[in-house]
Amino acid sequence: MGKLYLELIRIRFLTMLAYRVNYYSGIIIYNINIGAYYFLWGAIYGGQKNLAGMTVEQMTAYVAIAWMSRAFYFNNIDQEIAQEVRDGKVAIEMIRPYNYLTVKAAQALGEGIFRFLVFALPGMILVSFFLPFSFPSTWGAWGNYLTSLLLAFVINTEINLLTGVLTFFLFRNEGIMFAKRVVVDLLSGLILPISFFPIWAQAIMNYLPFQAINYYPSMIFAGAVGPEKAGEVILLQIIWVVILLLPISLLWRLARRKMIVQGG
Amino acid sequence: MKDIFRLFTEYLGQYFKSRLAYRANFLSELVSNLVFEVINLVFILVVFQHVSTMKDWTRDEIIFIYGFFLVPYAVFSMFFSFWDFNEKYIIRGEMDRILTRPINNLAQVCLESIAPDRIFGVITGLIIMGYAAFQLKLTFAWYDVLLFILLVISSSLIYAGVYTGIAAVSFFSDSRTGIAPMIWNIQNYGRYPVDVYNKVIRILLTWILPFAFVGVYPAAYFLRKEVYYGYAMLTPVMGIVFFCIGLLVWKLGVRKYSGAGS
Amino acid sequence: MIEIKGLEKEFRIHQARPGLAGAFRDLFNREYKTVKAVDDISFQVEAGEIFALIGENGAGKSTTIKMMTGILTPSGGEMKINGFVPYKQREEYVKSIGVVFGQRSQLWWDLSPLESFRLLKSVYKVEGKEGDAWLDRLVEELEINSFVSQPVRKLSLGQRMRCEVAASLIHRPQLLFLDEPTVGLDVLVKQKIREFLRNLNETEKMTVLLTTHDVSDIEALCKRVLVMDKGKLIFDGLLADLREKWGNGTEVVFQFKAKTTVEQVRAVLGDMPCELSRENEYSIRIKIQRSQEMLPYVLSTVMSSFDVSDVKMVETNTEDIVRNIYSTKDEVVAHG
Repeated sequence: MGKLYLELIRIRFLTMLAYRVNYYSGIIIYNINIGAYYFLWGAIYGGQKNLAGMTVEQMTAYVAIAWMSRAFYFNNIDQEIAQEVRDGKVAIEMIRPYNYLTVKAAQALGEGIFRFLVFALPGMILVSFFLPFSFPSTWGAWGNYLTSLLLAFVINTEINLLTGVLTFFLFRNEGIMFAKRVVVDLLSGLILPISFFPIWAQAIMNYLPFQAINYYPSMIFAGAVGPEKAGEVILLQIIWVVILLLPISLLWRLARRKMIVQGG
Repeated sequence: MKDIFRLFTEYLGQYFKSRLAYRANFLSELVSNLVFEVINLVFILVVFQHVSTMKDWTRDEIIFIYGFFLVPYAVFSMFFSFWDFNEKYIIRGEMDRILTRPINNLAQVCLESIAPDRIFGVITGLIIMGYAAFQLKLTFAWYDVLLFILLVISSSLIYAGVYTGIAAVSFFSDSRTGIAPMIWNIQNYGRYPVDVYNKVIRILLTWILPFAFVGVYPAAYFLRKEVYYGYAMLTPVMGIVFFCIGLLVWKLGVRKYSGAGS
Repeated sequence: MIEIKGLEKEFRIHQARPGLAGAFRDLFNREYKTVKAVDDISFQVEAGEIFALIGENGAGKSTTIKMMTGILTPSGGEMKINGFVPYKQREEYVKSIGVVFGQRSQLWWDLSPLESFRLLKSVYKVEGKEGDAWLDRLVEELEINSFVSQPVRKLSLGQRMRCEVAASLIHRPQLLFLDEPTVGLDVLVKQKIREFLRNLNETEKMTVLLTTHDVSDIEALCKRVLVMDKGKLIFDGLLADLREKWGNGTEVVFQFKAKTTVEQVRAVLGDMPCELSRENEYSIRIKIQRSQEMLPYVLSTVMSSFDVSDVKMVETNTEDIVRNIYSTKDEVVAHG
């Protein structure tokens, strides 16, 4: 069984590799995004040393790493699921001897690993030439970041599975999926570190899983969350991973029942 | 041209009939577009809670630029929304069908994906601009309305040219997701004043992917920023030039598709 | 009507390297191979013919059709259809043809076929009473009246296919291309579509070009058949001639009243070119190559020499012929 999923990850990795235009443009444009936000924040800081508890240097590192992290956790499996539901392909997937959602997650991981190795790593090295940017100095810090990033991937994938499975009930839900994407980008801290939001908004966001997708790992990387607090943050992420399993399995069970009743 | 206009009205009718078949999705797409537009506003509002100006621009000036930025993009997406061009027309082969019809092929592809509901994007943009203009106590002359329309059309042509050219890349490459979503990320930087970026990016946004001409340059005219008047007046020229480039790439692409180019 | 001379099409195909390392190398440098998909094809078709283009997958059928419909530009040769050069005068030319791609729909999924027809009328500028009358006739003859107002997504494949045929004919083309029109359809629907096409061909003198894997389509509709293999036209002629050339000829099985051996029968037939084989002690099978001339002779000779209790004639069907063509690859180019 494990071998199957490994194979799925590998295949997706190879599929991504086959499209070379994406590869070239991907690196360039991720860097343009990071660069532009870097300048934007530079203009926002102006002469000020510290905004919302972050220095310009921390902010710079944060922006770069937030985008790099996104390269890993981001995927479109919800849209893929929606497409397969609409084409009726999902009925075939149901009779295969594996769990459809796990297959999708494995494919997402293949895509994530590809983007991380091919976009993010070269991109990060490129960025470090232009921006005042420092990597974590200890192996422990790297370990914390990568653990946190992997959990971020799991949480984001779980949310994508949720919106994807919704297609079984709504048939067409492109609107919801698009809205989800922008909401995740905002509330995960990609565009704006969570500490910038008004206190009341931060209080609400503490009860939502989104900041576990980007804010936590990026803060660990930027050094704004020290090693003593990193364990706590990772624990919070694990809690979200577990909590999100609940609605997924519930919706998935309902979706399968719906499939059996309607025959696909 | 007359034929295409007549067909446009036909397609418009078909569009509403088929969209009404999925009313829930129609609504959710309207809402999600609105969410997207509002979220960028949130960024501006949150940032300006911590600072009072960005370079020399005030909060309301930035909001005005953002409002303007939404309008030409919405106009463009009403007529050109072939984001899935590669998937639908190249991979699934619908381009063959297009080529067996006696209408200009680009016009057909556009007509098949018109999205009149994006008019709401225009409205959102106008409301945001209106709010900012009110806060800034801007005054307008009668001819500013005509200029506004001219500038919006010009900016839309820039989008149309860039994205037609990018869609046409599918004719040359078998790339699946294409580069359109990536360019789409870049275009969003046109909604901030270009002087916050460094020189290279400023040149990129002005001359190569001229997304400064869909936001800050034309908007600066209405904000009475005289430094940018020259760029604002250049917008129609850029629109025409980039639209023509887009058409040319498309033409070459179709030639390549039918095997005459290689 | 259709004049094609020396038509050619070459493709450059990207050769993917195997494995992970290969995929990485493909990122930077690709290997290409040139393939001749269509190789020096010539034929002519008169107005009002129904003819079939057959061949295995990859034989060059669909490339040929794509060139004939103006989608692809040939890399060599000449082509004139309905007085146009398709790839040069595409927009004018396509007004005179109709195309049904069996796998691809030209109807709007969420709307009724009637709405799609309306739209296509605008696309092809079909106007006035004449156009309406023509559409009415299509609707009536294809018997699609009862479901033409339902959304396409609710139609069965057979219903949809009949609507596709109607959609491709809205503008009353002189030439109709049908690419695999009957894949997956049941016998009744197939018959309905064939009858309709035959009728259209007779009353309107409409030329029809059919590509198909279904041999029964050809038998029901076409006199003339073109066979492609590896990009070349290996046969162009009447279905009857095709039978003669690649068919197993006619087989006659004689049932005798007394035990009879192959040698006994061979003795009366002399060196007549035919194959004899023994079915059982009382029965002999004779395979005759050129049936028309030889059959009466074989029959009368055997009947008059032996006591025959039963005669069974086995005619090879087109399906066997096609299988024969695909398995024997000797390239015999017949004249058109």
